[in-house]
Amino acid sequence: MFKAIVNKLNPLQLSCSFHTTACLNEVRLLTRLRVVDNSEIGKRAMSEGKPPRVICVYNKQRVGYIGDRVLVAIKGQKKKGILVGLKQTQKVKVPKFDSNNVVLIDDNGTPLGNRIHVPIPTILRTILKERTHAKGADYTKLLAIATKFV
Amino acid sequence: MDNLKVLCSKLIKLRVDHIVTRSAKFTVKYRPPHWYAPKVNVVKDDDLTQDNMQFIKEVISDRNDSQQELESPLVQSISHTSQQWLPTTRRVGLIARKIGNYPVWSNNGKKMQTTLLQVVDNHVIKYIPPEEFKPMLTTERNWREKRKLGCMLVGSETINPSTVTKDYCGLFNSVGMLPKRHLRRFMVSPEAALPTGTPLFATHFRVGDYIDIRAKTIDRGFQGVMKRWGFKGMPASHGVTKTHRRPGNIGSGGEKARVWPGTKMPGHMGNRWRIIRGVKILRVNTKYNVLWTLGVAIPGETGAMCYLFDTVLPLRKLKSSPPFPTYFPSDDLPVEYYDECVHPFSDPTLTFEET
Amino acid sequence: MSLAIRRTTELIGAAKWFLRRDSRVLSTLPEKVEEPPAELTSKRYRRRFFQNEAILETRHAYPEFLPDPNPNWRNSLREKLERADMLERRSQIDIPEFYVGSVLAVTISDPHAQSKTNRFVGICIERKGCGLRAEFTLRNVVDHQGLEVRYDLYDPTIQSIQVLRLEKRLDDKLFYLRDALPEYSTFSFDMDPEILPEGTPIPVNPVQVKLKPRPWLERWERQELKGVSNIEEHLKEKDRVRRELRKTPWEKYDLMKQYRKTIPIEDQSKIWAEVHNQLQQLQMARKKSARKRTFTTPKTQLG
Repeated sequence: MFKAIVNKLNPLQLSCSFHTTACLNEVRLLTRLRVVDNSEIGKRAMSEGKPPRVICVYNKQRVGYIGDRVLVAIKGQKKKGILVGLKQTQKVKVPKFDSNNVVLIDDNGTPLGNRIHVPIPTILRTILKERTHAKGADYTKLLAIATKFV
Repeated sequence: MDNLKVLCSKLIKLRVDHIVTRSAKFTVKYRPPHWYAPKVNVVKDDDLTQDNMQFIKEVISDRNDSQQELESPLVQSISHTSQQWLPTTRRVGLIARKIGNYPVWSNNGKKMQTTLLQVVDNHVIKYIPPEEFKPMLTTERNWREKRKLGCMLVGSETINPSTVTKDYCGLFNSVGMLPKRHLRRFMVSPEAALPTGTPLFATHFRVGDYIDIRAKTIDRGFQGVMKRWGFKGMPASHGVTKTHRRPGNIGSGGEKARVWPGTKMPGHMGNRWRIIRGVKILRVNTKYNVLWTLGVAIPGETGAMCYLFDTVLPLRKLKSSPPFPTYFPSDDLPVEYYDECVHPFSDPTLTFEET
Repeated sequence: MSLAIRRTTELIGAAKWFLRRDSRVLSTLPEKVEEPPAELTSKRYRRRFFQNEAILETRHAYPEFLPDPNPNWRNSLREKLERADMLERRSQIDIPEFYVGSVLAVTISDPHAQSKTNRFVGICIERKGCGLRAEFTLRNVVDHQGLEVRYDLYDPTIQSIQVLRLEKRLDDKLFYLRDALPEYSTFSFDMDPEILPEGTPIPVNPVQVKLKPRPWLERWERQELKGVSNIEEHLKEKDRVRRELRKTPWEKYDLMKQYRKTIPIEDQSKIWAEVHNQLQQLQMARKKSARKRTFTTPKTQLG
């Protein structure tokens, strides 16, 4: 009986010999994100089942962490966004989300939508304040349209 | 019959091929320091009667008791007040055991990993002033210039004298101490010299001070190039066979058709003496003589011995006078005290003020 | 003579082995109520046995007091200092008894939040770590978005831990809630604490969750989960065959594996004898202050 099963499986095992460990869930090039604000373009992209894809992460590691700026391809356009929730394992007291969330912004840091319909981690408040410079883009506008903090 | 047996056993041990031949240019490469003596002794109980065993036990326990009652010689001598600490003086160090890691939290709510070091029963064994201290010349360096630092022998963990050799025991007997399991030399300035029998405590260092720690790293055995030097290895697939964790090329041809000295290759990893410099002390327990040091990079596994001394890093050197020549035992110290950046567990919950 | 001595030492060794084995059974099967062996009929033995048993029972409520069983990391003095620190922290805030599957509300002081405090409610899906490293993970679904937050149990920024519903689930880890329908991990933030009458055993919630269709985060079918109802619906023939092949039925007989995972009963009773009294005293003090609070609140409401 056991031998029969093994024989049956042998060709299968040969075809799938790669290892499968738990994935890191990193946000890197070509990751699909979830738009969580109510901007027109974001809503349409999500409802059509064509979520945006990361085409650039603006940091040295090229792996997106919480509060990082990303360039996404959405509905044939290039838009900038800020990562507001990540699937990968986070530090203690920082929430880990079930999806990789992004809020679309323009070049000045002004969000395209006017409401975020999921909770936002509180640590983002500190991170975005640090990233905002007096003359550069003002990312803290994103905090104003958040509905809930966790 | 018995004699014959003994003779036979002796004859078996004799080996004809074991003859040392010395070349004409024979030089001693390394001779241990004069205070070094072989330590481990195999005890043979066969020849001892029950009474004698009892007697030996009694003697050992008596000596142990007298050792326990030993008062710090600092009490009588006034030398500890007469000398002044200068930034250039070198104090004696401590012998400690690494007993594990656990986190403590800082005052701003951040978690810090700490390593616990227990200072085990440390006593000053002997001080050799710089004029008399003549170590074996192991390098070509010329030591003719005047030696400035003396040698201080510090021992830790008293052991049963019958388990060590006579030579090793004699080192301690000559100064009236019981043998210690760990013996270690520290180079100290002559003004930091301490009399024999001075106990050393964890309070020799203060919280907030930086220390250097010397210890043996974890023995990992013969390791490949990926673990030993952090090489990348080679791809797992794409036609690569049999060279997934190998170093690849180790040199080029042409005129230098050889492997350069110092090329990173597989070999024995760990079990080497390493010094980690500039480790901060966060917390001190005076009852169990335990130091909490910041970070988990102290070499060695749990239970390994390490040697602590004041740091030599120029920016982290001691700025004010530490307990000099060592901590003078007094009763006014609390059981535990903390660096100002540490949040003691007995303090109420941290709260942050609105700005 | 020497033979006889060897015999006895062997016997003692065997007895020790049995004792250890008992302890292992104790620590691996927490629900099992042990009857005293029939030989220990004399009263004194019996009393001591029950006393020991009562002390040992605390290991379910406070599992983080047991050190890591890895012998390379054990050190009695470090463990002692660690336990003392844990008790110091416990004297500052009430860290209640809770299990995987209980619903908790955690308030922390958060420098990033506007009000400088942050409250999160969720179901505990994991407890791990020993000593001061102990941590637990809460999961909740807020606005149709699954969230998980990890906390250090002895973090001094935790202001309070409140148990809203004290219960256990059928499994030791509830990671499958990530792949389950969201209603199984949705808990409202203004949930009222459910108070169990004193002396009742911890209830086990027999709820079996429904998983979403594949793809899943892990191969749940291979983990022998009791709290999942519809795992077979989503499986193909291939997965069932694979599951049969990957089964390790011999592991429950692997005594060495069990031994390496647990602390022997002799060590455990020493540890509990050290901390049991203080834990009891802390609990009594909490109860007293809680009673006082319940008496005072209605008066203020009336006034």
